[in-house]
Amino acid sequence: MRGFIQILSLLLFSALFVFATYKLPDWLFADLYLRLDPLLSLNAIFAAREIIPRALWALLTVGATLLIGRFFCGYVCPMGVSIDLLDFFFFRKKRRENPLRLESTLRRMKYLLLIFFLSAAVVGLSLAFLFDPIAFLTRFYTFFIYPVAVTLINLFLDLLRPLFRQLGWVSISHLHFSQPVFYMTAITLLLFGGIIFLNRWVPRFWCRYLCPLGAFLSLFSPLGLLKRRVNEECNQCMRCRKACPMGAIGEDPRKTNRPECVQCGTCSEVCPKEAVSFSPSFSIGGEYSKLDLSRRGFFFSFSGGLIAGFLALQTPFRLRRGKLQLIRPPGAIPEDEFLRTCIRCGECMKSCLTNTLQPSLWESGLSGLWTPKMDLRLAPCDQNCNVCGKVCPTQAIRSLSLEEKNHAKVGTAIIRKELCLVWAQNKICLICDEICPYNAIVFRPLEGYRRPVVIASKCNGCGYCEQRCPVKGESAIVVVPDGEIRLKEGSYQEEARRLRLEFKPDPGDDKFILEQEGLKIEEDRIGKGKTLFKEKLKSQKPKGFL
Amino acid sequence: MDHWEITRRDFLKTAVAVAASVSGAKGLSLSHAKEEYDLVVVSGEPIPATQKAIELLGGLSRFIKRGERVIIKPNMSFARTPDVGATTHPLVVATVAKASIEAGAKEVLVVDHTLQRPELCLERTGIQEACKNLSGVHVLTVQERKFFKEVKIPKGKVLDRIEVIQEILDNPVLINLPTAKSHSATGVSLGIKGLMGLIWDRESFHSRYNINQALADLATVIRPRLTILDATRALTSGGPGGPGEVKKLNLIIAGIDPVAVDSYGVSIVPWYGQNFKGRQVEHLLAAYQRGLGKIDIDQLKILKEKA
Repeated sequence: MRGFIQILSLLLFSALFVFATYKLPDWLFADLYLRLDPLLSLNAIFAAREIIPRALWALLTVGATLLIGRFFCGYVCPMGVSIDLLDFFFFRKKRRENPLRLESTLRRMKYLLLIFFLSAAVVGLSLAFLFDPIAFLTRFYTFFIYPVAVTLINLFLDLLRPLFRQLGWVSISHLHFSQPVFYMTAITLLLFGGIIFLNRWVPRFWCRYLCPLGAFLSLFSPLGLLKRRVNEECNQCMRCRKACPMGAIGEDPRKTNRPECVQCGTCSEVCPKEAVSFSPSFSIGGEYSKLDLSRRGFFFSFSGGLIAGFLALQTPFRLRRGKLQLIRPPGAIPEDEFLRTCIRCGECMKSCLTNTLQPSLWESGLSGLWTPKMDLRLAPCDQNCNVCGKVCPTQAIRSLSLEEKNHAKVGTAIIRKELCLVWAQNKICLICDEICPYNAIVFRPLEGYRRPVVIASKCNGCGYCEQRCPVKGESAIVVVPDGEIRLKEGSYQEEARRLRLEFKPDPGDDKFILEQEGLKIEEDRIGKGKTLFKEKLKSQKPKGFL
Repeated sequence: MDHWEITRRDFLKTAVAVAASVSGAKGLSLSHAKEEYDLVVVSGEPIPATQKAIELLGGLSRFIKRGERVIIKPNMSFARTPDVGATTHPLVVATVAKASIEAGAKEVLVVDHTLQRPELCLERTGIQEACKNLSGVHVLTVQERKFFKEVKIPKGKVLDRIEVIQEILDNPVLINLPTAKSHSATGVSLGIKGLMGLIWDRESFHSRYNINQALADLATVIRPRLTILDATRALTSGGPGGPGEVKKLNLIIAGIDPVAVDSYGVSIVPWYGQNFKGRQVEHLLAAYQRGLGKIDIDQLKILKEKA
């Protein structure tokens, strides 16, 4: 029964993950699990110092835990399910010491981590993502499972393609999924592998000793109705103690370490006397085990969090943030708040249709680990897609309508003349101008030649030019953060209007014409103060015409 | 592709005969039956104009044998709505697809190798939606090299081989369904330029070869049975992707001579504000010089009708 619910939960988590892409329907909360996570919510609310509406969904989890107990860890948490599944595959036959000798010391770890993360959050450093199971697993899915799954599915389709052709199944015989690629796939896999490997010593090592979300829930889960009870039939055979995946049963098997109990029911399954039951009860006192936290430990982790917070914030990345080169997704709130609010789940990067969103490693310091940045050389941001904001559980990227999102300027394209084929080599190339959806690139007569220039007020930084630039390696036209619009609230369209920006896909003024022979403008036109571009047009023909 | 041959003479004799029988009341005298037409040009809204053009051609059953699989190549390379003029009108595509099925085609594959994300192109162009309820019609984008196959170009001047979508090699019937638009590198993008959507390495045409000569080479090996030019709107500047100036012309131009269709397409509207003839378009001239069709429209026999 428990296994069934767990698998269902993992399937739901996976299904929501799959749906987090273009074109996500508005009614579907693809970020449901992340919203329900109280640690992420607390972290975001503390760090951002404001109430985030989507984060309030976590109250449901808190309420249910108050009512039932710490069932979340045993039944719902997809990380828990993954750990149980992989434990079954890899370590089932391993003889493991249960509980570990260091049990009581290790057990404190998760509380210390919880205190550490929350105190860091109070200072304004969002760090809980490192150990939050839901964010962790979403990242693992995004950077590892998703690309690997696409590769395998394509391989499978390739294998069956001859069969599909034979059967005349036209659409499926042409089916191929575009392969997503991410930086930091390896590091994400290593971390996840590490968590699984810890099971070698004891089942659910992560959940017992490290998970700060479990630590948080355990603070009030003993108030829940369902409690483990052992009747007089117990012959103290200790099977339950050995079998308990959470190590929640003490030396006296009739007693339960309440905060650690996830109500999985393993103990009652293995009991030869059927002496264990989980029945509703209101009693609170007595068996409520106290948190075994030394004052010293509390002090160290609390101050540790504060210090880490201060340190991480006093870096060039924050203090000189205006000088950084990162392009954030459209709708990302102002950088300071963005870093505080973003929980690094990777959902935006998963959902990104073009695969331009990539995780940062050190580009914005410790405080920016795994935050999304746009890699516009890899892929542009498409004006028909606004899914990254839709799936952001803390709204560090605001959910915007398409029209609003296209006004959320992420930067401005600049031409690097020394690389540009036209500027540096007088070659005829007009790819950036051709591809620009906003006609922000025009050819202007300059010093005797027609040269591409960017009209900054028409460029919203979508990056089509940067991606398509035919120069090998670095692009000759790059989007820099200059001119980005980052709004915490209010309309991007209004802001753009106020700044006199116009991102309209209408015919520009660039009915420019190039002659086959080159870009040179007749000598006598030069130096007369004005180059009579329009007159010149009459005698010229567009490219491709003779 | 070469095993199917129908001379222009045969084609238009029958075409007009059928047209005359269908629309006799509308005043097409029998004497027309003895004339030979190179093109049919119909003015009207997308669906009726396309239907009329097909009717004047004598119906698609003249081009499709029963049970054949038909490849339709519209322009759906850009994720733009039809009003931008960068892609073939969805209703024109659907009308031709439907007529193909009615003419006995086993299946219709509407295929393009898109420039932007395929899911966006399929959705934004409206082509997927328009063909949704047509049974036997599949709208596909082909983005992976494994779906392409190399062909030799014996008559090529700059290309000696090219990788093209395998389906057009496996199936004899290709109907080219371009939209009429300007193009920043080739002047105009009509039927012959539209064939570029069937090759793997589009980039090489821009960077490695003279694109105009390469297009003419390509046209020697990809020979559509029919070209139906959607000039219901024409993107007369800002092509190929737009945004640019869009003129509503309400024209459908159809024929089997790819050069003639394109050459007529050049003449219907000023491009970039100037009037041109087919001969002035470098890639059309090159195609003409390869012997692929007629280029001087004053020498063409054209059947004009209103839908």
